[in-house]
Amino acid sequence: MTTTLPGSGTRARSERAPAGRPRRRRRGPSAYLVLVALLGLAGVMLIPFGVVVLNALKTPQEYTANGPLALPEGLNLDGITGFWERTGFGGVLLNSVFISGSVAVLAVLLSVLNAYALGIGRIKGRVWILVLLLLANTLPQEALVYPLYFLSKQVGLYDTRLAVIIVFTVIQTAFGTYLLSSVLAAFPRPLLEAARIDGASRWQVLWRVVVPVIRPTMAVLLVFFFVWTWNEFLIPLVFLVSNDNQTVSVALGVLQGQRLMDATMSSAASLLGLLPTVLFFLVFQRTLSRGLTAGAIK
Amino acid sequence: MTSAAHKRSRRERLAYLPYLIPGLILFTAVIGVPFVMNLYTSFTEWEGVDSIAGFWPGGDWVGLANYRELAGDGEFWASFRHNALVVVAMAIAPTAMGLVLAALLTDLIDRHFGPRAAGFLRACVYLPQVLPIVIAGVVWSWLLNPDTGAVNEVLRAAGLDSLARDWLGEPGTALWAVMAVMVWVQLGFPLVVFMSGLQRVEPSLYEAAEIDGANWWRRFRHVTVPQIRPEIFVVLLWTTIASLKVFAPIYVLTKGGPGGATNVPSYYSYQNFFDKTEVGYGSAITTVLTLIIVALTVVFLRLQGRAGQEPEGER
Amino acid sequence: MIKARRGAALLAALATGSLVLAACGGGGESNPDELRLWHYEAPNSAMGVAWSQAIKEFESTHPGVKVKFEEKGFEQIQKTAPMVLNSKDAPDVMEYNKGNATAGMLSRQGLLTDMSDEVAKRGWDKLINPSVQVTSKYDAKGTMGGGKWFGVPNYAEYMQVYYNKDLFERHRVKVPATYAELVEAMDAFVKKGVTPLTNAGAEYMAHQFVYQLALDKADRTWVDAFQRYTSKANLTDPAWTYGAATFTDWVKKGYVAKNSVGLKAEDAGVAFMGGKFPMMFSGSWWFGRVAKEVKFDWDTFVWPGAKLTPGSGGNLWVVPKGSKNKKLAYDFIDITMKKHIQNALGNAGGIPVAADAAAITEPKAKKLIENFNTLAQNNGLAYYPDWPVAAFYDKWVAEVQKLMNGQATPAQALGEVQKAYDDGLPK
Repeated sequence: MTTTLPGSGTRARSERAPAGRPRRRRRGPSAYLVLVALLGLAGVMLIPFGVVVLNALKTPQEYTANGPLALPEGLNLDGITGFWERTGFGGVLLNSVFISGSVAVLAVLLSVLNAYALGIGRIKGRVWILVLLLLANTLPQEALVYPLYFLSKQVGLYDTRLAVIIVFTVIQTAFGTYLLSSVLAAFPRPLLEAARIDGASRWQVLWRVVVPVIRPTMAVLLVFFFVWTWNEFLIPLVFLVSNDNQTVSVALGVLQGQRLMDATMSSAASLLGLLPTVLFFLVFQRTLSRGLTAGAIK
Repeated sequence: MTSAAHKRSRRERLAYLPYLIPGLILFTAVIGVPFVMNLYTSFTEWEGVDSIAGFWPGGDWVGLANYRELAGDGEFWASFRHNALVVVAMAIAPTAMGLVLAALLTDLIDRHFGPRAAGFLRACVYLPQVLPIVIAGVVWSWLLNPDTGAVNEVLRAAGLDSLARDWLGEPGTALWAVMAVMVWVQLGFPLVVFMSGLQRVEPSLYEAAEIDGANWWRRFRHVTVPQIRPEIFVVLLWTTIASLKVFAPIYVLTKGGPGGATNVPSYYSYQNFFDKTEVGYGSAITTVLTLIIVALTVVFLRLQGRAGQEPEGER
Repeated sequence: MIKARRGAALLAALATGSLVLAACGGGGESNPDELRLWHYEAPNSAMGVAWSQAIKEFESTHPGVKVKFEEKGFEQIQKTAPMVLNSKDAPDVMEYNKGNATAGMLSRQGLLTDMSDEVAKRGWDKLINPSVQVTSKYDAKGTMGGGKWFGVPNYAEYMQVYYNKDLFERHRVKVPATYAELVEAMDAFVKKGVTPLTNAGAEYMAHQFVYQLALDKADRTWVDAFQRYTSKANLTDPAWTYGAATFTDWVKKGYVAKNSVGLKAEDAGVAFMGGKFPMMFSGSWWFGRVAKEVKFDWDTFVWPGAKLTPGSGGNLWVVPKGSKNKKLAYDFIDITMKKHIQNALGNAGGIPVAADAAAITEPKAKKLIENFNTLAQNNGLAYYPDWPVAAFYDKWVAEVQKLMNGQATPAQALGEVQKAYDDGLPK
């Protein structure tokens, strides 16, 4: 245990950036080999996206005549504009951003509070409380649909975005609570005790000592919760009945007919739909890899 | 330990209870009550429309009939066999691969080529998590098409005609093809979690190991893995739960076919909830599925506790 | 640090803002001057075109009333209809699938309005051919062909063979008029190394071959027993066995490609429309798309020698129990049944149920409609094999895939189908 106390190295982190640069000189041939291999892997991961882009730019006629894997003959943006108009995509996008954004923020906050009690506070029976909270994830979503439908009708939240936000906040919190409490269980105790001796309250310890240390993990959670909520399908399908409330993933369903699908417009639409999540990921990419600064501890 | 110290530590722990209250209240409303309702429904025969007393859903009480029917449903239990392989594809393989990748990106690429290169590669690997699964399914079925698909074209171009297959149509290959696609989808999740965990590791630990002459593999085993053990447990449990509940990725690729060769347990609950609207039976299926997953979770958390990340009792 | 905190504050503001916005959401308040209409047809499809014309006409004949149309996804309606219709958010009129497992079930659950009186009053029953009416009327158990009208179809559909004239000419194959000629033609194509029929084993196409082949040996009583439970259906009888065995044989002979087991209908349709297969046996729902997107010379014929072929009335207009403006809903349905809207539907590539034959100008569309009318008048519509019980479709797909892969004999596959059928029969 003593050798693996994560976080105990927080102070050393400050030296990292200056110390990191000079080491870059020693690039052996094996490092290049690994780089090439990883670039190859990245290429394979991106192939399906290339196919989506190809078809998003085709006319339906080209797609039908030459198949899905042929190159487009020219740039055709009708699929993108057509889908935008057909679904009122501006509003749909806004709904998705609001729902996913709210869920991400609220669920991270809730996860931190839960994990503080379970991981740092070590409340009695915490394993069982954790198992209980994990039920939000272990219970298949389809089991929630009918009960939540009845409950939301009772309280007048059926067909509202608020219902979806509340439901996903709780569902996503399960992962956050588990990850953060696992990380916090190994939190360096001396750090906490020092802060308490300095007269900080529990609330202050949480925000001034604990949160700064786990910020990279919180950023990961924020990104995951946003992306997961964005791509959720079943519960939004059931709870967002009006087109005014719909999310991107539900709106995409319009293109999947009873017996026919619109492949080119679906490609265009999914491209439109994933842009915001990619953007969100790239913006937070920096937070993901930025280590801790020394100032965070004070 | 003295009893006074014991008492103090108990009071100390109770002081953290308020932090749990908002979470527990919301949990009760969104998961707890629906879980009990679902449990009740599983003892009834119900089509999902009428409600008893205008509120509590559930139809005619049939006792354990749904469970008895489920126990005798050979197809349902057989589908768990596929789940074992799905656990490999969605949990074990991505976790292992993600661990190695995370270590390579942090320990090698970041240090030798800079954080931008590492960040770019991570973004590429993570991207499949963002694509809606419906579209991913359509695109992969194009790529795996037996006549025109890119996979077979590449094999033929390389002179490996004999390896070209009807990937999603032959019972022998369908599940493997689906598993490969799942690894593609899933890999980014462990990678991102592990890389964030590695931010906590002191660079000096690596330096010390390097000075000691430890090669990359030894550093990986003795520095990287122990440092992010909490993350490894979390990711492994999480992806295992996901693979036991999996439905959409399989359904969009094969619809459970050919001839049921890729059916999974969740397929049965979906079918009963939404196609047949036999909500009572569907509830019984999800209850059984939940119990199995919860049992697994408990075992897993115990193991995790024993591994030292969740020390039991006072120290 | 300050920067990070500002970011957090921004996110928090976003969250609260969205909560406020979300709380304001919600609909369902009734408005006497609004007709809430849902359907799931693409705007450029025959139905989409005709119905948007009907919406305009409704608004001009009902000054002051606004149509609030929402295009829905098929899956959303399929999965959530019982829940939506049981809430105050139900629309005033909507499109819904016909058949026992869909409209029949909703009618049995009391979620749809019985519109028999309105049908008689407005004379819709006189416009629609009796064999098309079957899917609109349900009995107390929700079985079609009953006595009460729970929906009105605006169009119809059936299956036919689409063929690529260029490929027939290039390989000098005669277009078949009888079943024997069909087999000859397929043999000729196979000899030239061309797979004659496109197919999709993972979706409806494959089991519809089996059904059509069985229908070749069956009669109306057989269809009614299977589809409407008028007597006990035996799925291992000679007709079904012939259908399953012949289809298996076709796979062996290469009439349909063995590697189509895992394909979806979209793949199969695109392969035909891309000129890779001379024939596609599928529904009229492809017609508009083939007409628009195909570059070669093509035409259609009814399954050679068929007295019975899969087909039925189209999806229904239904009026939910909770509809707040039923009168307006009926007015709207009435407009969609009018001659000129029906003609527009026909000219756009759909099969109208009450059109003026002379007004359909496009020759291929004319032929499509005439062939349908002949079938309907001869009582030749046999519905679809997956209709009789809920979740039957998946069963058919799975068992026919086993047939194609040689994992099951016709007797074994049909035995499994029979089991699912017996389990799903209304109790």
